[in-house]
Amino acid sequence: MSKTYKVVNGLKRAKPIMSANPSEAKARVIHLYKAWYKQIPQMVQLYKLDVTEKEAYAKLREEFAKNKHVTDLRVIDLLVVKGQLELINTVEHFNQKPHVMRFFRDTHNPRPTDFLGKFYAGHDP
Amino acid sequence: MASLSRIPLSFSCFSSIKNSPAQLAIVQKRCKSTYGPLKDEDRIFTNLYGRHDWKLKGAMSRGDWYKTKEIILKGHDWILKEITTSGLRGRGGAGFPTGMKWGFMNKPSDGRPKYLVVNADEGEPGTCKDREIMRHDPHKLVEGCLVAGRSMGACAAYIYIRGEFYNEASNLQVAINEAYAAGLIGKNACGSGYDFDVYVHRGAGAYICGEETSLIESLEGKAGKPRLKPPFPADVGVFGCPTTVANVETVAVAPVICRRGGEWFAGFGRERNRGTKLFNISGQVNNPVTVEEEMSISLKELIERHAGGVIGGWDNLLGVIPGGSSTPIIPKSVCTDVLMDFDGLVQAQTALGTAAVIVMNKDADVIRCISRLIEFYKHESCGQCTPCREGVGWMAKIMKRFETGNFQEGEIDMLYEISKQIEGHTICALGDGAAWPVQGLIRHYRPELLERIEQFKQKQQKKATA
Amino acid sequence: MMRLRPLARAVTAPNLLKHSVRCTTSVATQPEKIEVFINDKPVYVYPGTTVLQACAEGGVQIPRYCYHERLSVAGNCRMCLVEVEKSAKPVASCAMPVMKGMRVKTDSELSRKAREGVMEFLLVNHPLDCPICDQGGECDLQDQSMVFGSDRSRFTDINFAGKRAVEDKNIGPLVKTIMTRCIHCTRCIRFASEVAGVDDLGTTGRGSDMQVGTYVEKLFKSELSGNVIDLCPVGALTSKPYAFTARPWETRKIESVDVLDAVGSNIVVSTRSGEVMRILPRMNEEINEEWISDKTRFAYDGLKRQRLTFPFVKDEAGNLKKTTWEDALITASSMINNFEGNQIAGLAGGLVDAESLVSLKDLLNRLGSEALCTEEIFPMDGAGTDLRSNYLLNTGLAAIEEADLVLFIGTNPRFEAPLLNTRVRKSWINNDLEVALVGTKVDLTYDYDHLGDSTEVLKQLADGSHPFCKKLNKALRPMVVVGSTSLQRKDSQAIHNAVSTIAQTARVQSGCGEEWKVLNVLHRVASQVAALDLGYKAGVDYIRKNPPQVLFMLGADEGVLTRDDLPKDCFIIYQGHHGDKGAAMADVVFPGAAYTEKEGTYVNTEGRAQETKLAVSPPGMARDDWKIIRALSEILEKPLPYDTIQEIRSRLEDVAPHLTRYGEAEEANYFKQANELTKTIKGQLETQPLSPPLQKLEDFYMTDSISRASQTMAKCVQAVKEATKNPYM
Repeated sequence: MSKTYKVVNGLKRAKPIMSANPSEAKARVIHLYKAWYKQIPQMVQLYKLDVTEKEAYAKLREEFAKNKHVTDLRVIDLLVVKGQLELINTVEHFNQKPHVMRFFRDTHNPRPTDFLGKFYAGHDP
Repeated sequence: MASLSRIPLSFSCFSSIKNSPAQLAIVQKRCKSTYGPLKDEDRIFTNLYGRHDWKLKGAMSRGDWYKTKEIILKGHDWILKEITTSGLRGRGGAGFPTGMKWGFMNKPSDGRPKYLVVNADEGEPGTCKDREIMRHDPHKLVEGCLVAGRSMGACAAYIYIRGEFYNEASNLQVAINEAYAAGLIGKNACGSGYDFDVYVHRGAGAYICGEETSLIESLEGKAGKPRLKPPFPADVGVFGCPTTVANVETVAVAPVICRRGGEWFAGFGRERNRGTKLFNISGQVNNPVTVEEEMSISLKELIERHAGGVIGGWDNLLGVIPGGSSTPIIPKSVCTDVLMDFDGLVQAQTALGTAAVIVMNKDADVIRCISRLIEFYKHESCGQCTPCREGVGWMAKIMKRFETGNFQEGEIDMLYEISKQIEGHTICALGDGAAWPVQGLIRHYRPELLERIEQFKQKQQKKATA
Repeated sequence: MMRLRPLARAVTAPNLLKHSVRCTTSVATQPEKIEVFINDKPVYVYPGTTVLQACAEGGVQIPRYCYHERLSVAGNCRMCLVEVEKSAKPVASCAMPVMKGMRVKTDSELSRKAREGVMEFLLVNHPLDCPICDQGGECDLQDQSMVFGSDRSRFTDINFAGKRAVEDKNIGPLVKTIMTRCIHCTRCIRFASEVAGVDDLGTTGRGSDMQVGTYVEKLFKSELSGNVIDLCPVGALTSKPYAFTARPWETRKIESVDVLDAVGSNIVVSTRSGEVMRILPRMNEEINEEWISDKTRFAYDGLKRQRLTFPFVKDEAGNLKKTTWEDALITASSMINNFEGNQIAGLAGGLVDAESLVSLKDLLNRLGSEALCTEEIFPMDGAGTDLRSNYLLNTGLAAIEEADLVLFIGTNPRFEAPLLNTRVRKSWINNDLEVALVGTKVDLTYDYDHLGDSTEVLKQLADGSHPFCKKLNKALRPMVVVGSTSLQRKDSQAIHNAVSTIAQTARVQSGCGEEWKVLNVLHRVASQVAALDLGYKAGVDYIRKNPPQVLFMLGADEGVLTRDDLPKDCFIIYQGHHGDKGAAMADVVFPGAAYTEKEGTYVNTEGRAQETKLAVSPPGMARDDWKIIRALSEILEKPLPYDTIQEIRSRLEDVAPHLTRYGEAEEANYFKQANELTKTIKGQLETQPLSPPLQKLEDFYMTDSISRASQTMAKCVQAVKEATKNPYM
C-alpha cells in the first residue's frame, strides 16, 4: 500500500521533460499526426504497400486512437518521440515493406487462457 | 691388538675387540691418509674368483658359519650396534647407512611378520659384483641373511635374484639347501632357537625390478612398477608387512663385520665411507676385473693396480663412469686424483653407485656410448610416471641425433634442461639414473658435441656439392 | 581381488577411508587436527590427509591427472608436484601425507617449473588433434596446458622421429578408444578394478611402449563401463554413441534424475536444439556418488525411437489411426461415460511420475473407481503397503558404508541397482563388510557367502536354525535386502514375511538400536514407491478379480495384463511415451512425455523424492502426462482442481507431504508393528528357487520401454552375447 502511494507521489512531483502542459502535448500529437498524414501517399507508393491510401489513413487514426487514454504528459511525449522515429524510419526508407506492413497485421490469435485451450494449443510456455 | 683383529677366523678376535681400547682405533683412523691396497687377510670375499670350493664345506673352511649361533644369541641390538659402528653404507648404489636402515625395523611389532628382502637383481650395466658373491660365495649371503634378518627380527628372507642369473640362482639354492640340511637356517637356525627361512625368487629380467619398491611388487607377483613412498617398505613392504630391502653385498658382509667387529671394518676408508668394497672394472682396460678393495682408494690406483691400466696408457683415457651406468661420466682430468668413495665422487659431481667402473679411452665415441645408455634406460623405463616415460624417450631421440651431429647448438642446453626436468620428478630413481649420464656428458664433453655438429655440417656440404 | 588384508589396511586405510563422507560420523575416534602452511597460510587438517587435500582446504587447487577422489592414489602423472620446504625434490602432493608444520608452496618457481615440465612431457606424445577430438572443450589436458603449460613448443623431434602412435582398441559399443591420446593416468584401470570390480583393463608394455587396454581385444564387460569416459582426463576414452555429435559448449545442461532403475541416479541431460545429446552423472553423495550405470547413460537414444507422437484411436478395422487430441479425448470420455465407476480400472507402469499417478487416482476416484493398481507386485496382506517401512530401502544407500553385514535375498543388485552394488563393493573393500546372498549364484563383483537359492534357506533363516543366523545376530549393523523381483511370485507374501522376521530378529538380537534399520526392499522400477505412497494397489490381482470394462493403462508396458486377462469388449486407454506392449493392445492411445520431457516427481527405493526437469519438449503432439489426465477430466465434466504444476504439487503435498520434499529421504520406522502384523497371516513358501530375472550382463541392458527402444542397448546385448563366445573372456 505504502509503496504505491510513494510511486504516485513521485509521479506527481516529477517534472515533464518536453511538454509543460497538456495543451503543449496535444499540439505535439497533432503535429505528428499531420506529418504522418502527409506522408502516407508517398509511403504507399514508395513501399508498394498492399493497402490503399484510405486503409492507411484509417490505420493511422487507429494507431493514434490506441493511446487516447494516456494522460501522463511524459508518456505522451515518449509516444510522440517514438512516433517521430518511426516516421523518420519510414520516410528515409530505413524500414522495409514487412516492417510497415506490421501495422496492418491483424491475424494473430490470442493465446488461450483456459486449461483445455492451452492443452490443445500445445506445450505451455 | 690391531694385528690380532686382522687375523681372520680366530675366535680370539671376538673377545679381543670387546676389550680393545676405543682410542687406539680412533688414533689409527686419524693416522690414515692413504687407502688401499687391501691386504689379503682383510678380504671378506675370499673366494671371489671361484678358485675354491663354494659349497658348505669350502665355505666353512674359509670361516663362514663360524660362531653364527653366538652372533645370533647376542641379539639384535648387539648386531645393530656392530653394523652401526662399522659405518657400513648400503652397497646397492644409494649408500644409505645400513645400521640406521636396519634399525627402522625395530619398532614395536603390531603382529605383522617382518621380512628381509635381498636385492640380487643386479642389472646395472657394468656391475657384476653380486653375481660373483652368489656363484662363488653363496654361503656368505645365506649367513648374511640370517644375521641381517636377526638384526631386524625378520622371520624370513626373500632373495630376489635376476632371472638371467641361472647358474647363480642354482648355486644359491644349493647353498640354501645345504644350510637347511645342516640346520643353519630354518627352524631353530644354528641351534639358536631363532626360526628363519630363506627363499630364492627368480625375477623375469627387468632392470626396474632392482628398485626396492618395484622389486617388492614383482615379488608379490605383480608387474614390477615402483610404488609410491611413503609408505616406506619399513612400514608397508612385501605382502603389506614391514620389509627391508638390502643389497647382496651389504647383507653378505654383515656376518664378517659381526665376527671381526665393527671397529675392524671401520678401519678401512675415510670417515663416512668405511669398509671394503667390491669394485668392477670394465671397459677399455687391459684386464677387466672384479676386485675387493678398500674404500677411498684412488681411481687411478684402482685401475692401474688391478685392471692393468687403461688400454694405451693413462694418457689415452677419455673418461670414466665410476659407479655403474647411471652415474655421470667424469673426464680424465677429474679421474686422476678422485677417490673412490661416496663423498669423493659426489664432490666430483658423480656418484659411487655400485662401484662399477667403466673406463673409456680415446677410441671410444663417448656420445655414442651415452646414447646407448639412454636407449637402455628408455627400454627399461616402466612407463608408470610421466617424466620418465616421456622424458627418457625424448632424450633418447635427441641423443640419437647427437650421435650423428644432426642438431643445433641450442639443443645441448635444451637436453640438459630436459634431463633436469626428469631428475627428481619421478616416482623412483630410474629417472634420475637416466638423466645423470646425459648431464655428465654435457658437463664435460661439450667440445666433442660441438665438433660433431661441425662434422655433420661438413658432411652435408660435401653431399650438396657432390 | 581388490580386498586388502586387514593388517595392511591398518596402515593404508586412512587414505581410503577419509574420502567417504559417511565415515566421518565416527568423530569420537578422530585424532586432533594438525597445522600445515599452504603458501604461508595456516590450514588445520587431520593427520593422514594428503598435501593435495590440505591445499584444497586452503583454497588452492592443485592440477592433477591421475588423482581422483574416489579412486586409489596412483601418483604417476606427476602433475601435482609441489614444493615442500626442507624437501630437496618436489613432492607428489596427491600421495604425500601432511606432516606437522609442513610448509607447502604451490606457486613457487620450483613447483611451476615441475608442472611445466610434466605438461611438456605429456604433450610430447599427445597428438594435437583437438579439433577432431570429442573431449575438446572439456579436456583436462587442454585446460591445464593453458594454465600451467609452456607457451611454446621445443619438441623439434617431431621433424625427425615423430610422435608415438597406438592402435585403437575395440572395447565394446559404448566406449570409443583413441589410444594415441592416452596419457597413462590409469584412472580407467583403477576404476575398473576398484569400483566396477572387473579386472578387464590394465597396462601392457613398458616405458614409452606402455599401453592401456584390455590385454587382448575384448569387450570391457561391465555395467558401469561408461564412467571411464568421464574419468578419462583426455580424449582417449570417449562415448561411442555421442561421437562427433556435439560440442560441450553448444549444449544446454539440465540437471535431472534417472528413472530407468529405482535408485534415482542424479544426471545431467545435455541437449541441443530439442534433442538429448547425452546423459552424464551428477554428483550426489547420498545416491550415486558420481557414477551412473550404462543403461542410465546410454539408453537416451531410446527416447528418439518408437515414440508416440500422435493420439491414436482404433478404427472399425481394428487399426490404430492418427487423430487429434480432441477426437481422442472425446472417444475415450464417451466410452468412460458408458460405464459405472466400478467398471473402470487404472494400471500404472514403472516409469510414471507421481503427478500423473495422483491425477489418475483423483480422476478415477471421482468417477467412483477404487481399482488403481501397479504392474509391479508387492504383498498387500498384513501391514502390506500401509506401513511405509515395509516397502522401502530403509537403511538408505549411503548408509551401506556403515553396515557390517548385508544379506541379499532373491536379488541381483549388480544389475537391478548397479549403484547400490558399487556402494556395497566399496564398503566391502574398505570396511570389511560381509555379504551373503540367498538366491541364484551370480557374480556380484565381490566375494559373498552363498547360502543357497532355495526358499528352505529362507525358512531356516527366519526360524533361526540356519548357521548364518549366528553371524547375523552378532553383526552390529546388519542389513537385510530383499529384491522386489523375488516378490513377483505367488508366494511373495510368505517371502516378505520371512524377510521381515529375519530382519526383525536381527534387529533385536544384534542390538543395533532403534536408529539402525535392517529391513530393506530393493525396488527395480522408479514409480513403485510413489505409487504405493499414493495408495495404489500393488499387483494386478484386483483387476483380475474385478474385470473392468474400461482400463486406463498409464505407461504400463511390461505386459503383466494382456487382452486375454480382460473382458473381450474391455476398452483400453493407453497413455505413455513409447509404442510398446501397452500401446499395442489399446483402443485409444494418448502420447505422453518421457522423463527428460517433463517436470515429474519420482521417489527412489529409499523413499527419497526427486524431480526430473524438462530438458526437451515432448515430441509431436505428446503432452505432459498429468495434463492429459487433467484434460480428460474436463471432457468428462469432472475437472480436476489443478491447472498448473504448482497446483498439482500442492495436491501431492496434501496426499503425501514427503513427495514434494525434494532431495530428502523420508524415513519410516514401524518395523516391529509391521512384523507383528505379518504374523497374523499365514503364507506358504513355494519350492521353486529364488532366482532374479537379471542374472547375466545381457539381461541388464533392456528392461523397460525406453531401453527396449534403444539401439545402443541392443548393440550392447549383441556385443555381450558375442563376447561370451570369446574364449579369452
